[in-house]
Amino acid sequence: MTDTSAPAQPVRALSLARIEGALPWIALGLVGLLLPLLDDSYIGVIAQRAFIYWILSAGLNLVVGYAGQIAIGWVSMLTLGAYTTAALTAGTATPAWHPYLALVAGGAVGALFGVIVGLPALRLRTFYFAMTTLGFATIVTQVALAWKEVTGGGVGTPGPVFPWPFDPGWGFYYFCFILAALATWMTANLASSRFGRALVAIRDAEVAAEASGVAKPRLLVAVFLFAGALGGVAGGLFASLQSYITPDAFTFEMSVLFFIAILIGGRGSILGPALGTIVLTVLPEFAAPLVQWSTFLYAALLLLIVLIIPGGIADLLDYKNRRPLERHREIVPRPELLARVLDRRTGGEVLSLANVELSFGGVRAIAGLDLEIRPGEVHGLIGPNGSGKTTTLNVISGYYAPEAGQVRLGDAVLPPRAPHLRADYRIARTFQTPRLIGGASVLDNVMIGGTIDGQGSFAESLLTLPRHRRDEKRLREAAMLALAVVGLDQLAAVRADRLQHSELRFMEIARALMLRPACLMLDEPAAGLSADEIRRLGALIVAISRQGTAVLLVEHHADLIFDICDRVTVLNLGKVLAAGTPAEIRSHREVVSAYLGA
Amino acid sequence: MFASIVSYGLAVGAVYALIGITYNVMFSASRVFSFTAGMLGMLGGVLGALFIAKMGLPAIVGLVLVLACGAVIGLVTELLTVRPVLKSIEQHLYVLSTLAFALMVQQLTAVEWGTEAQPFPRLIPIGPGWLDQQFWLPMLACAVTIVGLELLYRKTLIGRAFLAIAEDSYAARALGLPETQLRMASFALAGVIGTLAGFTGAEMLLAFFGNQSILNFYGFVPVALGGMGSNRGAVVGGLALGLFQQAANFLVGGIFAAVAVFAVFIIVLLLRPEGLAGASTARRV
Amino acid sequence: MPISAPEPLLEISGLASGYGKIGVLRGIDLRVGVGEAVALLGPNGAGKTTLLRAVSGLLPRTGAIRFAGKDMAGASPRDTVQAGLVHVVEGHRVFTQLSVFDNLLLAGYGMTRDERATQVEEALAFFPDIAAKRQDRAGTLSGGQQQMLAVAQGLVRRPRLLMLDEPSAGLSPVLVDRVLAAVARLREGGTAVLLVEQLIEKALAVADRVYALARGSIVLEARTDEADLPNRLEHAYFGQDVNAPLSS
Repeated sequence: MTDTSAPAQPVRALSLARIEGALPWIALGLVGLLLPLLDDSYIGVIAQRAFIYWILSAGLNLVVGYAGQIAIGWVSMLTLGAYTTAALTAGTATPAWHPYLALVAGGAVGALFGVIVGLPALRLRTFYFAMTTLGFATIVTQVALAWKEVTGGGVGTPGPVFPWPFDPGWGFYYFCFILAALATWMTANLASSRFGRALVAIRDAEVAAEASGVAKPRLLVAVFLFAGALGGVAGGLFASLQSYITPDAFTFEMSVLFFIAILIGGRGSILGPALGTIVLTVLPEFAAPLVQWSTFLYAALLLLIVLIIPGGIADLLDYKNRRPLERHREIVPRPELLARVLDRRTGGEVLSLANVELSFGGVRAIAGLDLEIRPGEVHGLIGPNGSGKTTTLNVISGYYAPEAGQVRLGDAVLPPRAPHLRADYRIARTFQTPRLIGGASVLDNVMIGGTIDGQGSFAESLLTLPRHRRDEKRLREAAMLALAVVGLDQLAAVRADRLQHSELRFMEIARALMLRPACLMLDEPAAGLSADEIRRLGALIVAISRQGTAVLLVEHHADLIFDICDRVTVLNLGKVLAAGTPAEIRSHREVVSAYLGA
Repeated sequence: MFASIVSYGLAVGAVYALIGITYNVMFSASRVFSFTAGMLGMLGGVLGALFIAKMGLPAIVGLVLVLACGAVIGLVTELLTVRPVLKSIEQHLYVLSTLAFALMVQQLTAVEWGTEAQPFPRLIPIGPGWLDQQFWLPMLACAVTIVGLELLYRKTLIGRAFLAIAEDSYAARALGLPETQLRMASFALAGVIGTLAGFTGAEMLLAFFGNQSILNFYGFVPVALGGMGSNRGAVVGGLALGLFQQAANFLVGGIFAAVAVFAVFIIVLLLRPEGLAGASTARRV
Repeated sequence: MPISAPEPLLEISGLASGYGKIGVLRGIDLRVGVGEAVALLGPNGAGKTTLLRAVSGLLPRTGAIRFAGKDMAGASPRDTVQAGLVHVVEGHRVFTQLSVFDNLLLAGYGMTRDERATQVEEALAFFPDIAAKRQDRAGTLSGGQQQMLAVAQGLVRRPRLLMLDEPSAGLSPVLVDRVLAAVARLREGGTAVLLVEQLIEKALAVADRVYALARGSIVLEARTDEADLPNRLEHAYFGQDVNAPLSS
């Protein structure tokens, strides 16, 4: 079959799913829009509270649900926003501000502190970060209590009253509604953009994200900024809704409520957490005798979710991914499509290691290694355990800095210790254990590989401006094509964690192809594959190299190495033991004895 | 004023140190950071006040009961919130499961005991002044705990087994050590230490459900700064934190103290994520 | 399979195991007789370490495992150790914070105090190098001494079968010989040994029988005194007869 058109059907199925996904939002929007017709101010207040909580949760959802950062003290953003807006409006610290301006300032303060609280997430372990957000929430409350001149201390301070058009009553209701809708729209835009995918990739497959060129610090800072701003704005609105705020109003339990709403809803979903927020806001109103137990029940719910359905409601509702997949699937790569995926302008450069040395704690892992991987060739790297193969890969990938020597691509020296910059040099790789985003579709997983080719900014994605839409379209098409090349296009819409191990290996290759690599490094791609699959893999690898890509293949599978490599380097004790054509290596006595350990 | 800063600071610091040790004991056996450390401290005070002041039991009986409750709660923590999520420890679900459990207990306390801070009975009538039990009791508890743990680790086989599991649980398992039982024992022990901290510190901190989050945070600070798993770090860090806090409270006021502690905490961790005294341990896969 | 077989001690059939979704081993049949020394060889990534882990219960597995007549299918590492099947894991992972003596005491966890003391002394008698350093912290030992300590830990239980995972890794040739000499002595004393090694010739010198593992399956089983063995091993390592596991 030499049909070179990639099947477009899954793309259409995806856009259908999009329309289907919008239905609940339209329903929610209509309810929100028409609720004032009931003219029940009690219901109005509850709805406003739900809107306000959701404005905060929408931002927090990006932090918790997408980036996977356990920020349990996010109520502090609400507190900061509320006091900033209230104090500026009341003029306790400065001349009085206009309430709308004060609200903007509340958002700005939230954004600032969002970043400050978020910074530790870049370096600290999960629990440490959770604890710093918790500590921050405690301290904000303590300061609110103690800084009496500005916050009124324990007595409190009046909240801002917004003038027309969003004056108290239904005007303010629509203000909250509009802002909630806006928050939803922006987070949904972001979540479905390359930034949203990169966030999830950082959560589930950080190494792969790095290798695809995702710059974690910049991305997380942007998200914390945005989530903090939403929290601050929610705080300003909250202060107005409460009409009078005291530090007691911002209990840690509220943080838990936001957090649980997101987890109940499910990680990596927006609708789920939105429904969770609504349910948790409304529920206590129907169970007045239980109010004092509400936090207890929330906590119990959290425990149950963690233990029983860590995926949240979104997972339970994900009926599409329970449809059984065909059991006996075959991966049929179509290397003939490769020319359309790989852009030959970037190829044609030699990756070379010159006299690279590296030792760990006195043990020489690599001792003066020279290696040249040429475009258009498959270069096999073999050797016994501990011979330095993986270390070599990690040096090229930028995880380790060599103590001596250089790694070059063409004439450019690759910066050491900068794995996230390798993508810029069009150096792609796969991993010994496939690194995947289990909860995302195969297509999304592959699109991660093209992250650096996006041109739109974070803000453009928030507002879904034209450049963002062009990026998305291009990335999606490229990913479908890459999937067709490796033979997985029929599975594009399937959750990646439902794939078989061998399919994941091919998916990783598709992700790597998204970079249109000048150099492709494959780390034991044949491990766990059947003999048939290995044959197809071999043909695919050869085809990739013939497009002008330099391929480095680390593999234990001797048959594959000798079958497809143009050149083989054998490492032993961090040095080149032998190098040459497969035939030369196969008959090299020293190699045989190194393998046999004599 | 100097004497009161020192005595009060060291006493609070001893409580922080003990909560820090509680974190460590649980962490060493399971690689899990548990939000139940502060909860245990809070319960030590509340249960002590309940048994001794409300129910009128003799002090020593009350203490034993409190510690027994602590051990049981430790076991429940292990069974309910740690063991089920241990298989996928890299997902950090324990952060949520232990937090959820701690919150449930805290809310139960708030509803059944009340949200007002209540006084803790005086057990030993010495003082007032810096000889008051509220100052030396936490320090005594801290000293007893450290000596006790040292004896446990150095002199008993089960103590060595704790150290072995903490260092390399895979090798310990391969050697046939009963990892599960040892982990349960560790959590029970942590329960005893945590409630002891709360019990001895309660005259100062009162029997108050809100102590949970404060102890959670201030008990964690010395551990994070001193290096996870290091009891020496926890004690030095805890006492230093207590002294610093009291001095700042007296000299420049509470806001500054709180903000300064937090700022130091974040800055130190950003510069040295493994803590001031902790070595960056290379993980063996 | 007309190998004059001693009474079977460990019998494995149809064993499969792996890490999560990644199957590493499938259809493993393997047997170790009472007092027999068996080498388990194979290229990198063949699944040797995985096989030992699966047998000792450190990894979940399916298939039948019988040891000394007992069914070990659902056994935990603790069960296997108590049954007399001891696994010395790769990379001389001793407890560096504890003394040499304490390391050995721990290996006897659950034994009576007297029994433990006797056994520890007996294990130390095997390795005079480390007996002299019994009060030193294990972290101060050299790599070779740590490996000896790890083997000594395995001996404290007086196992019927000792599984050693690459005891030679990272050791100098002299130390390798020492460790393997200890293995040979063990075998003379009647302890069965299942030895995973990279150093093929040295392993063959110690063992009675050999299995080769490649890509998760047993591809060769032979007596070590077989004349054509090096050739067959080379084939097993470099492929070609992968699909025709030797059955004669």
